[in-house]
Amino acid sequence: MDARARVFNHHDPYDLKGTEDAFVAAMRENALFQQAGCADYARILREQDFDPASIQSMRDLERLPFLPTLYFKRHKLFAMDEKKLLIQATSSGTGGVKSHIGFDNLGMYYGGRMVLTMARRHRLFSPKPCNYLIFGYERTKENQTAISKTAYGATFFAPALHRTYALRWRNGQYELDLDGMKQALLRYSRSPFPVRFMGFPAYTYFFLSSLREEGIRPRLPVGSKVMFGGGWKQFYTQKVEKETVYRLVEEVLGVPESGCVEFFGAVEHPILYCDCARHHFHVPVYSRVIIRNVDTLKPVPYGTPGLVNLLTPMTKSMPILSVMTDDIGILHPPGSCGCGISSPWLEILGRVGVKDIVTCAAGAEEFLKG
Amino acid sequence: MLLIRGKLWEDGRMEEAMADLETHLTHALSGPPLDPMLVVDACDRLARAIEAGEYAAALEEFLSVHEVPREMVDQAIGLFRRESLLYKLHMELGEGALEPLCADGHVWQRRRFPLGVLFHIAAGNVDGLPAYSVVEGLLAGNINLLKLPSADAGLSVRLLHALTQVEPALADYIYVFDLPSTDLDGMTRLANLSDGVVVWGGDEAVRAARRLAHPGTKIISWGHKLSFAYATADATMDDLRALARHICQTGQVLCTSCQGLYVDSDRFPVVKRMAEELFAALQEAARELPPVDPGLRGQATLRLYNEQLEAAHTGRQVLRGGGVSVLLCPDRELELSFLHGNCWVKGLPRDRLIETLRGKKEYLQTAGLLCAPADRPVLTELLCRAGIVRVTEPGLMSRTVAGEAHDGTFPLREYTRIAEGLW
Repeated sequence: MDARARVFNHHDPYDLKGTEDAFVAAMRENALFQQAGCADYARILREQDFDPASIQSMRDLERLPFLPTLYFKRHKLFAMDEKKLLIQATSSGTGGVKSHIGFDNLGMYYGGRMVLTMARRHRLFSPKPCNYLIFGYERTKENQTAISKTAYGATFFAPALHRTYALRWRNGQYELDLDGMKQALLRYSRSPFPVRFMGFPAYTYFFLSSLREEGIRPRLPVGSKVMFGGGWKQFYTQKVEKETVYRLVEEVLGVPESGCVEFFGAVEHPILYCDCARHHFHVPVYSRVIIRNVDTLKPVPYGTPGLVNLLTPMTKSMPILSVMTDDIGILHPPGSCGCGISSPWLEILGRVGVKDIVTCAAGAEEFLKG
Repeated sequence: MLLIRGKLWEDGRMEEAMADLETHLTHALSGPPLDPMLVVDACDRLARAIEAGEYAAALEEFLSVHEVPREMVDQAIGLFRRESLLYKLHMELGEGALEPLCADGHVWQRRRFPLGVLFHIAAGNVDGLPAYSVVEGLLAGNINLLKLPSADAGLSVRLLHALTQVEPALADYIYVFDLPSTDLDGMTRLANLSDGVVVWGGDEAVRAARRLAHPGTKIISWGHKLSFAYATADATMDDLRALARHICQTGQVLCTSCQGLYVDSDRFPVVKRMAEELFAALQEAARELPPVDPGLRGQATLRLYNEQLEAAHTGRQVLRGGGVSVLLCPDRELELSFLHGNCWVKGLPRDRLIETLRGKKEYLQTAGLLCAPADRPVLTELLCRAGIVRVTEPGLMSRTVAGEAHDGTFPLREYTRIAEGLW
């Protein structure tokens, strides 16, 4: 049996202890598979003197060579025939360079299992049909970015009556149609069916701010949700606190904070993180996080800021089993959140290359000591 | 924050500011031209006030937020002093070039006039530079509309406001707006009111400015530039130390900052030895400066790790430690470094210099020279023929001196036109 099954079929998505052996086994199997199928990855393992067969514990995964997202932007790495891959996603590509990531059939199946388990756990499913307002790109053949896929995918948690997009594809280019969104919102708010917002936090924030300025305050039907995905990176310079956004959602739409849900994931790490009642991203069983020192790349303890290294055995098509993101974050210890979920939680502080992202964070002191 | 005719306005009043802008501009243009001495006096008084500590609190706050060495600030203030500005006026607009035009017994006098209204689209990599751009516009007699960079911390608008306080007559010549460059409508309206667009920034910014303005509007672009150092095999350790200090002090973010070191050799052991010596000098220099921000260090760490992964394809070697690095490369390509104490070293024999830099001419700026004094004239000549516009000692690559040319030209001449007539 594929070693991934025991991880991805597990009933409790936050039972890290109960899935540890299965996770390690699946990572070993994946690393061996990549070594055999991807010559460039095999070369990197050889150069770093790492034998995938030696993976026996979580500690061994700290030594497993990781690939930075930059490497995927410059090299196509496939361990399977590229044409046979089910879905190909491209990252939104900071600076215009995109990485090409493809998923194998079984990997997609396990991804589906993961989404089901997570959505069930976070009560995202509803049999009641919804109207969707999507603060993202309308799906077209041209736009293959992961964000548009996530946004679209999220519209299946509840049956969709109608979908309205903020970025519409017209005459060969995307146009921002906030007025269309506003009209749709007013129309939807008069319907008996719940509304679900989905998209970048920044766009949602600006949209709601402009509604507030105009004095427009539609009361959305009970059960409406505001879902965020795609990160807060547009906010790094603005320093808008999440709480400010939740308050704005409640004020303008009448949706309480408990109706706000945030997702986190990356093309190179296609794992669905979903925030808890306290809006923290707990690590699900499908994923592990290693925070690494910004200078030495050595693992750092809980609570210390560093570079965010994400691990998952989900995909066999490519060596994305251990990916180094461009983000700086903190892994908070299990039990420190207080929401009842037992796994540690990941806080993203910002993207590398931006000054002062760490100094304004809670863990700055430890960083300076480190 | 906006600055409209000497008054500071809160953000978000762009529409209001635009409403009667054209009327005010026309009114100011209808009056007598701006006397440059008024500008010189005002700047000098402001510079003296700053030096005397009148703005000490604001300055301390600025220094605490930005890691700018105090001496660079002093140097910048010095640029606003009377002697600096008078020298600049003399150098750039000296009357020598304006002898009358004589032909067939006729005589026409020549005079310089401001372009009229300048729209400055400023960049965010040097604090306070947007204000200096406006001062240059003023010296040439222009009305100045300034669009601040999104990252501006407010220094420029405060400086310009202080200037209008010192000399209220300047208030009609300075407008500061805070619109984002994505506000195409606002940007186009400002460009359409202007006789010249002064754009600071990369290729994309320059391209965008050209799209904004009428085809006939003069575009003066101060684009992004790359600078490097050039060393002969006998370069001294003292010169390498001076270069390393320059690299660490500027963080390599200025147009004039050294991105890498070319060595006048195609023998790998020679280039490698130089890379090792520069690496040692960089480590030494970094020890004397405060550590670089962790977010910036993390970025360099990732890029260097990526270089190590790619080494099998590229043949590049990474020397790394103490918060600095040197990337030893077998190629000759001029490229941006990883910044903040991370630079490249490549071999480039002098007889290959022109062909190597040929395609990069419009990006070239400063070269720091590390060689025996006897080699300086011939290497300076070669570098300038390749497209470099400033050749300096290695420690002085980012010198800021009044009256120096900017990217190979005198800005004040760019901001004026010459008229011939019957005075």
